[in-house]
Amino acid sequence: MTLPDDFDIRYAVPEDLEFLTACFTNPQERAPFPFETDSETEEALKNWIGFVKYKAGLTGMLSGVPCAAGVLYLMPYRKVAHHCSFYVIVAPEHRRKGIGFSMVKNLLHLAKTRFHHESVHAELFGANPLQPILTRQGFEVFAHQEDYVHLSGRQEPRTLMEYFFV
Amino acid sequence: MNHPHLSVRIGVATDQACLIEWLQQPNVLQWFPLSDMREIEDAARIWMSYANYGAFLTVLWDGVPCGMATLYLQPFKKLAHQCLFAVIVDERYRGKGAGTLLLNELMRLAKEQFKIELLHLEVYEGNPAIRLYERLGFRKYGYQRHFIKEEGCYRAKLMMQRRL
Repeated sequence: MTLPDDFDIRYAVPEDLEFLTACFTNPQERAPFPFETDSETEEALKNWIGFVKYKAGLTGMLSGVPCAAGVLYLMPYRKVAHHCSFYVIVAPEHRRKGIGFSMVKNLLHLAKTRFHHESVHAELFGANPLQPILTRQGFEVFAHQEDYVHLSGRQEPRTLMEYFFV
Repeated sequence: MNHPHLSVRIGVATDQACLIEWLQQPNVLQWFPLSDMREIEDAARIWMSYANYGAFLTVLWDGVPCGMATLYLQPFKKLAHQCLFAVIVDERYRGKGAGTLLLNELMRLAKEQFKIELLHLEVYEGNPAIRLYERLGFRKYGYQRHFIKEEGCYRAKLMMQRRL
C-alpha cells in the first residue's frame, strides 16, 4: 500500500483537540475505545491531549489538514518509565491508505528515540482493526481477558499487545 | 469466621498516613512500581480518592490499621462491570489472616455494592501474595515480562482475575 504523496506527520499541538473531537463525534468511532458518552469522550480526549506538552503526540496530515492522531501514554513512575502504551485513530474517510500503519511506525520511532523506551504496548477491545496492523509490526499478545468490555450490548475481550525494541 | 483481633471497615481519609508509612517499608515497596516519596504520595492520593466512593477497605488488628485494599472503579460505563484492585498489608502483620479477610470483604463489597462481575489484579512475579490470590480463586490471564526495571534488572507482572 502506497501512502498518499501529500501525507506528512508532525508533533501534535493542543489545537488538534478539535480534530480528535470531530473524529469521535460519531458514536461508531467510539466503539473500539473505552469511552462512550459525550462527557466520557471529552474527559478521555482531555487526557490524550495532555501528553502533547511532552511531545508524545503525533498528528497525521493530508494536504495540511489533520487526518490521523496518535499518542504515547507515558508512565508516571520511574520503575515503569521504560515502556508506555499508545492509541491511534485515523479519520474514517482516510482509512485503508496505509496511514494507520505509518502512524504506528512513527509512534514507535518516537517512543524509542525521544523517550528511550524499550517497549510499547497497546490495549485493544473486541475485534479491533488495529490488531492485524500491530501483528504486522511485530507486536505480540501478552494478555487476553474475556468479557472485559461491553460493546454493542455484548461482552467482548481485551487484548494487550507489546513490541520490544531490543 | 470471626477473628478475635481482626475487623474491617470502610477506609477514611486519615488512613492515608498508614498507607504512606507502609509503602516506605522496603519489603512492601519492592512490590509496587514506586521509587521515592513523591511517587508514594502521588499513588497514595489516587488510592485514597476511592474512599470518597466507599470503594476502599481498611483491616484493623485490635483497632489499629494493618492493611488496606481499594477498588479502582472504572470511570467508563462500558467497563463498569469489572474492576482492578490493589491491596497492601503492613509487613508486621503478614501471615495473620489480615490479607485473606480483607480480600474476602473486598470481593463481597465489589459484588454487592458495585455490581462488579469480574475482579482483577496485577502482581509482580515472586510476590508471596500470589499464593493467597490463587487460594482465593484468582487465575492468571496475562504476563508482561519486563514490566518493572530497577537497577538494570527486570521483573515481570502477572495479571490475574476472578469472576464474582
